[in-house]
Amino acid sequence: MSEQASYKQELALFGTRARQRRLAAALAISAVLPFIFSPFLLDLANQVLLASIGALALMLLTGFAGLISLGTAGLLGAGAYTVGVLVREAGAPFWITLPAAAVVGAGLGLIFGLPSLRLRGLYLAISTLGLHFVVVYLGGEYEAREVLSTGVMIDSPSLGRFTLTSGRAWYFVLLAFAAFALLVSVNLQRSRTGRAWRALRERDVVAGALGINVQRFKLLAFMISATMTTIAGALFAYFRNFVSIDAFSLYLTVQYVAMIIIGGMGSIPGALLGAAFVILFPYAIEAIAGYLPARFSNMVFALDYAAFGVVMILFLLLEPAGLMGIWQRVRNTIAAWRAPKRARRAPQ
Amino acid sequence: MSEPILTIDALQVAYHRVAVALHGVSLRVMPRAIVAILGNNGAGKTTTLRAISGFIGLDDARVVAGEIRFAGLRIENQPPHANTARGIVLVPERDKVFPNLTVAENLTVSSSHRVNAAERRQLEALVFQFFPALADLRPRLAGLLSGGERQMLAIGSAIVCKPELLLIDELSLGLAPVVVEDLARRVSSIRRELGITVLLVEQNAGVALAVADYGYVLETGRVVLEGAAAELRGRREIQESYLGRASGDERRSYRTLRQAPGGERPDA
Amino acid sequence: MSLQLVANIVVLAAIYALVSTGYVLIYRVSRVLNLAHGELMMIGAYLLVATAGAFSGNPLLALLLAAAGGLVMGMVVYAVLMRWLTGEAVLAAVLITIALGILLRGLSILIWTTQQYYPGAMFGWHNPPVRIAPGVQISAASLAIVLITVIVYAGLFIFLQFTRWGVRMRAAGQNPLLAEQRGIRLHGIYAFAWGLSTFTASLAGMLLSLDSGVESTMATIGLKAFPAALVGGLDSLLGAAIGALIVATAEIAAIQYVNPLLSDVVPFLVLLIVLAIRPWGLFGSREQLDRV
Repeated sequence: MSEQASYKQELALFGTRARQRRLAAALAISAVLPFIFSPFLLDLANQVLLASIGALALMLLTGFAGLISLGTAGLLGAGAYTVGVLVREAGAPFWITLPAAAVVGAGLGLIFGLPSLRLRGLYLAISTLGLHFVVVYLGGEYEAREVLSTGVMIDSPSLGRFTLTSGRAWYFVLLAFAAFALLVSVNLQRSRTGRAWRALRERDVVAGALGINVQRFKLLAFMISATMTTIAGALFAYFRNFVSIDAFSLYLTVQYVAMIIIGGMGSIPGALLGAAFVILFPYAIEAIAGYLPARFSNMVFALDYAAFGVVMILFLLLEPAGLMGIWQRVRNTIAAWRAPKRARRAPQ
Repeated sequence: MSEPILTIDALQVAYHRVAVALHGVSLRVMPRAIVAILGNNGAGKTTTLRAISGFIGLDDARVVAGEIRFAGLRIENQPPHANTARGIVLVPERDKVFPNLTVAENLTVSSSHRVNAAERRQLEALVFQFFPALADLRPRLAGLLSGGERQMLAIGSAIVCKPELLLIDELSLGLAPVVVEDLARRVSSIRRELGITVLLVEQNAGVALAVADYGYVLETGRVVLEGAAAELRGRREIQESYLGRASGDERRSYRTLRQAPGGERPDA
Repeated sequence: MSLQLVANIVVLAAIYALVSTGYVLIYRVSRVLNLAHGELMMIGAYLLVATAGAFSGNPLLALLLAAAGGLVMGMVVYAVLMRWLTGEAVLAAVLITIALGILLRGLSILIWTTQQYYPGAMFGWHNPPVRIAPGVQISAASLAIVLITVIVYAGLFIFLQFTRWGVRMRAAGQNPLLAEQRGIRLHGIYAFAWGLSTFTASLAGMLLSLDSGVESTMATIGLKAFPAALVGGLDSLLGAAIGALIVATAEIAAIQYVNPLLSDVVPFLVLLIVLAIRPWGLFGSREQLDRV
């Protein structure tokens, strides 16, 4: 049963009845979940929500605008460290640290984005890699100087009498942030900026010839993506009450890259799927490890590495379009299976 | 009457699955013949060569209909090394030599498993016979050669692979007329000495028809004219469209001449 | 600058230069950046641990076996994994090497745990210091590294310039399509390039393990050597050697005169500077940037 949607309805984000119904359903389900999930599952859900913000940010940059970046961990760390330093040095509250993290993000986005004006593809990725190490070094320097062998402790954010500690409260906060990130991404995708980014991704030389201000849009992509990422990093600092530069390794960056590959490059639902997959993966491995001989089950993190590497390779070799690609194929198969039936029912 | 060594029947090639470059091209190449494919830029000449040599996958192109038969076997949409293994060797239009290797290295690096060591030595010696100028250039880096020298090296390294069918894409591109004529003559003597078949793709109809036995004219992906070279040379259409002897001032495509007496109707 | 400092620079440069040969070989021949190189180097070191354990009385045999294993390892990686990406976008290949690196890291811990091994000690060899000049001493293993690096470079140069396979590798690197047309089997060439690359990486890993042991963080040295290759232009061996000298000098100078903690980040600062000023390196060409 399909309705004829007017152009205006198509254009609006939730203009059609179908979309409104889906939105209502999604909101209803997400509102109910924290009350039926166990604390463990709730924490998992929170981790997935948090990760989606970073995944969406990377998707915007790499999936939409085609700008390769290996700087995610550095940016997450920068966001987390901004909170850490401000809390430790000045006891700043969250309504100062979060915007500060955003500003740091915008600034770093500008810096990370500058190489993209001259470099492409592999060379751009290498430059972001270099910047990653610089950020990590600076964090390490701070920890060494302040003799913080275990990182910076951070109190949960509080407003008046309410302190954000419970899993459920965090769920709604993170849901709000993730939904906002989602809204921003979807809107950008449909906006002039999004179209400019798509042109950049295809052929930035041609885009320039068509009058698109290549430099401006490249920098814009980096700055928006970096700001989202540093905010995610800041949230992470509060979520775990703790910041240590060791957490922001290259492996973390690779995990985020894996999210958008496994989910499906260039697709917003793909970023969310990928985030869920990568976050839940180590838990699945841990569960399997229980069945392995003790020698292996004692080194779950190594098992995790190895399994993760294998899964990434499998996706890259066999299904480069990611989970969305698989989903698309499933849908096509179902549609093809249904089509003959429809043809038979159609009037002569 | 011998069998053709290469036949192309109603070949259709599309780029990116949508942009059709060849709309049903048919041609026939007899063994030991030199056949010219003429036409302007975009006529489909290079696409045809790519389809034959197997380099069709570049730019996401595919043979979508029709067939190509070499010595009786169908070869469309095969990978390049399969066709090379059969003796189809291509001298490309661009990037035809290894620029950072010397002339000598360019020749030693080219090979085919169809050639044993003795044959190889013979062929290399022959290359220096056909192109004596290359002998002195042996230690020179190929990237530093002149256009004509580079073309000689490209053809030479193709010969060393003992081709049955030699495909040359734009022999004359960027070369002075004197050099081109010289090259064309050498190609003719190569054909004579080695008994190979040559398919020559050319914008310069004069040169091509001087050395070819038979010719095809392509325009926007279709064969619009074919015939023995001598016959084609004499036709007013060719003279006007491709040899620059137009009576009027503007260039006209063949299509506008369809009412010419004795002219053939273009393919549908 | 004291002579001892110069000696340290030369040793560090030799390490980076030896490791860089692997990056250069694969990039030059197939345009792929192998980001699993550090892990492959580490596995080479573990191979020596394995052979040293089996043949502790016969160090030469153990070394040869481990080196041979290193050669085979690269060819297997190509045959099983990388060949499927030949002809595809280079970025996909690079991403796969990243995934491979993670897989190898996990596997090596699963097999050898996080314990530190000293293959030299397994032979009963204790890496004595060698006095090469008054007031200047380096470990015997370090001396070996420098000598072997020189030999490897000479060998690679001769191989690429004068042997049939070497010329074919250079041809394939310049124009893979034409190479295929002229009878050069790309798969074979690429597999051999990978084999050579892991061979030199394993040599580096083995020598480093004889000097300071091996454990699971050794792979970082592989990543630190990458800027050296980049400085040279990624497809030039000579450039990699010069790049190694530049990076090593900067690193040792920074450790000595500024701050020891800079040791891990200096190579990447050099990398960023090079990318900012002359991204195609000392011996590369501008067109390379666009080919990516």
